[in-house]
Order: sequence, then C-alpha cells, then structure tokens
Amino acid sequence: MIGRLLTSDFLKIKRKGLWFLTALGPIGVVALQMVNYGIRRDYLLEQSEDDWGYYLLNVHSFTPLAIVLGIAILTSFIASIENETNAWKQLIALPVSKLTVYLSKFTVLAILLFMSSTILMLFSMAYGVFLDLGDSIPYAEIAKFAYYPFFASLPILALQLWIASVCHNQGIPITVGIFGVIFAYSSFVLPDWMIWKWPSLMNQWDEPVINVMLGVGIGILLYIIGMIDFARRDVK
Amino acid sequence: MEYIVQTENLSKNFGKEQAVSNINLKIRKGEIYGFLGPNGAGKTTTIRMLLGLMKPSSGTIKIFQKDLKKERINILAKVGSLVENPSYYPHLTAYENLEALRKILGVPKSRIDEVLEIVRLKDAADKKVKGFSLGMKQRLGIAASLLHNPELLILDEPTNGLDPSGIIEIRNLIKRLPEEHGMTIIISSHLLSEIDQMATQVGIVTKGKMIFQDSIEAMRRFAQPKVVIKVSDSEKGWRSLVANGIKAEHKDDLILFDECSDEKVAHIVQILVQEGISVYRVEEEKRSLEEIFLQMTTGEQTL
Repeated sequence: MIGRLLTSDFLKIKRKGLWFLTALGPIGVVALQMVNYGIRRDYLLEQSEDDWGYYLLNVHSFTPLAIVLGIAILTSFIASIENETNAWKQLIALPVSKLTVYLSKFTVLAILLFMSSTILMLFSMAYGVFLDLGDSIPYAEIAKFAYYPFFASLPILALQLWIASVCHNQGIPITVGIFGVIFAYSSFVLPDWMIWKWPSLMNQWDEPVINVMLGVGIGILLYIIGMIDFARRDVK
Repeated sequence: MEYIVQTENLSKNFGKEQAVSNINLKIRKGEIYGFLGPNGAGKTTTIRMLLGLMKPSSGTIKIFQKDLKKERINILAKVGSLVENPSYYPHLTAYENLEALRKILGVPKSRIDEVLEIVRLKDAADKKVKGFSLGMKQRLGIAASLLHNPELLILDEPTNGLDPSGIIEIRNLIKRLPEEHGMTIIISSHLLSEIDQMATQVGIVTKGKMIFQDSIEAMRRFAQPKVVIKVSDSEKGWRSLVANGIKAEHKDDLILFDECSDEKVAHIVQILVQEGISVYRVEEEKRSLEEIFLQMTTGEQTL
C-alpha cells in the first residue's frame, strides 16, 4: 500500500517546482562559495593549512539555512497540493489508512531532501576539485558535511509536516518556517536543545555525530506524534 | 431484508453544538436514496461519518453489514464518493488526476478511459483541470468516484454548479447505475425537485434530526402542489365553495386547494363564475421544502 501511495504522491508533485527546488538548494549553497572563492581565492587559501577542510566549513556555513528554508517550502508545497481543493477528503475516503497517507508524505519529503544532500555532496566535491584544493580528496568529510545535516534536520521536517498537514491556513507553517530560518541563522547563540541548531552540527561537546543521533531519535518521535495527531483528527 | 447502510443513533457534536443527532439510516441494495435537507442540516456531516472522515460522537455505522469502525479499509474499497465541492489537483490533467487515484486503488489503467467516457470528459482528458468549468470538475469528481466500480456510491450535492444540460446528464447517469451495475446510491441535496426526479427512497433531515424516511411515493403525497385562486370577493367565493362541499382554505384574500385534478379545478371555477364572482388568476403553487418540513415537524408525530 505504501508503494502505491508513494507513486501517487510523486505523480502529484509534478509541475509544482519541487524537483527544481530540490536541486536549487544545494547548487545555491555551492554557488555562494563559487562567488566567495572566485573573488578572494588566494586570501581564503592562506587562511588554513587544510584547504579542503576550510573549504568544506565555508560550504557548510550556508547548508543549515538552505535545509531549514528548503524544508519549510517543500512541506508547505506538499501540504498545499492536498489543501488547495481540500483533496484530503477524497484521499482519506479511499481504502487507505491515514497512518500510511502520512507516512507517504513524509517519505516523499525525506527522499527529496536526501537527493538534495546527495547533490550537495557531488557539487561541493566537484567545485573543490576544480579549485585544486589538494590531491587527497577527503571523501568521508565531504559525505559527512552533506548527510549529517540531513539527519540532524529530521525533527524540523517532522515538525513542519505535522503543522502543514493539520493547519488549513498555510500561513502558520510558513511563519514557523521563517522563525526556523532565523533560529538556524543564529545557531551560534542557541542552546543545544533547540532543534533548529542541530543542522549546524554544533554542540558543546564538539561532536557532530551527537546531532545526528538526536536528529534521528527526536525526528522519529516528532514524526510519530504528528502522525497520531493527523490520524486522530476529523477531515473537514 | 438486509441493509447496505445502517446507522444506529448516529450523533456528532461540534463542541456544544449537536450537528447530527440520533440518525437511523436504513438503505437497501439497489436503492437510490435521496438525502434531503436544508443547508446546515447535517447531511454532509452524516456523509463524512459514513466515509470514516469524521468519527461519530456516538452511535454505530454498518456498511455491507460490517462495522465501519473495525473494517474501514475493507468497506471503503467498495465505496465511491464525492463529498461537497469536488477535490482535484489543478496542476494535473484530468487523466493524471484519475491516475493518482487509480494507483492507490490498484485498478487497471483501462478504467480511466472508461470512466472518462461515462462522464463525457474524454476530449478534455489531457487538459489541466485548472482550466475546467465547475461542471467539468464536478463530472471529473464523479468519474473519480466510479473508478473502482463501487457497490455503494455516495454523492454529496452532485448537481451543484452544473448547467441544465449537465444536470440532466448526471441525473440520467445516476438513474442508470443501479440497473446496469447493481450499485446502491446515496445522493444528498437541498432541492426537493432534484431528489424527486431520481430517488426511490427519501430521508429528510433538519437541524440534525431525521424527520422522515420512506419511499418517494410517500414523500410525494406530502409535496403535492396547491392551487391558488384569486377572485374579486374571496370571502363570498370561499363560502359558496364550502357550501358546495369542496374543501378549501381562505387566506390573505386568496382561496387555496389541496388536491387538484384538472376536473376539480374546472368544477371550482365553474361554481365561482356561476356565483357571479370574477376569477382573476388560477395558479399552481409548488410547496417549498421549508413548508413541507414545517408540516412534517408540526403535523402528526407518527411519521
């Protein structure tokens, strides 16, 4: 059943610009470094012995913003497809369980984000090679900076999907999304327990993998809460 | 006789307001059940509960003799529905809209062409639904509800927003389905004439309560039109009619009759003319649904 719902959901996002946004996010993040390194490459290369590491840190400085903003836009788009003509009532009146409907929406979003992360990895590697940052390409580090933020941002995804699918007024999830972006922007000063800080991979122990664990754990928890609330509600 | 749909004391509260209270629907196989009531009477809420979109506050729903609460998915696999305004994905074509639903229902692709044919949307299959007229969207909604060849079809105000030819088309389609496909149909409307032309069985709700549930023939006895006659001297006219043994009402300077065959109207006019009273107008006054409601709610409680 989940397979059928997924193919149906992927058909529904046709012509909505979701694929475009999925690619635009990571390309934009790397493009900012193209500008940065294009203008002051020599200065930047002087800043550190480890040119690859320093370059990846630069790339990563914009990744959390792009992810949080991307999640807010994608979830709102996905929910608006059903909200626009209240197609929820048609969808839920089909022989499907509400839990599966919600799971399918979440899965579509997670797949889109994962693809974004993959594109980010490929692009940051390609531009790094183009910049000639050194022969030993740190593949593991590149993958880490691409996929860790993805896992660390799962709670934000779960929260945004929950709000977007139960609020008929899409102003509410958009507002929450904007606050999320502002939070992500000020990650430096946020306490560690704020989920919007996690994609920055910063914490007091300086151990990014903690954010990944927290992201997956709290992400699943928020997902389950959202799913149960969605299933419990009457469809208007 | 086994019922396809049976509800027992079905109720739904929104906060303190009781939208539906103790509704006992009884619908047999092959019927076209007209669900009639003014706006806000609780028709849509009842239908939403039948589809499992809303949970009843109390009472039970049995569809195909199964409990909706326990076997929702099995039941819905054999139920097609169109609730209120049609739902669609405007950025997709008519074909893609149906394809999105077909994937979930798991019926063969050929069904899409078949249902598009039934609602005559085949020519518009590859156009985006965004540009459809309301009538076309409504027909697309009906096509969607027919995709999996349901045994029970629930249509909430299906002729809303359609032009006269569209209404006739949908009406003929709805009448055909029980005969050709053995479907049972529930159709809701706030228009008595609409239900009158399609339904075999009628349920009337007002303010969340079922006030009438019987065959359409029984319903028609209530909805007979009145004949209104305007004369120069209504007082005198009415007296002479009553003197001749004709049951008539005298109200607002008008004379009103309940049953009125052509012969009877002719007879009445003849009496009036012979009495030297000028007859200005003889009109038939269709009784509005509201009046019938009023009569039912204030009349005998045996209904």
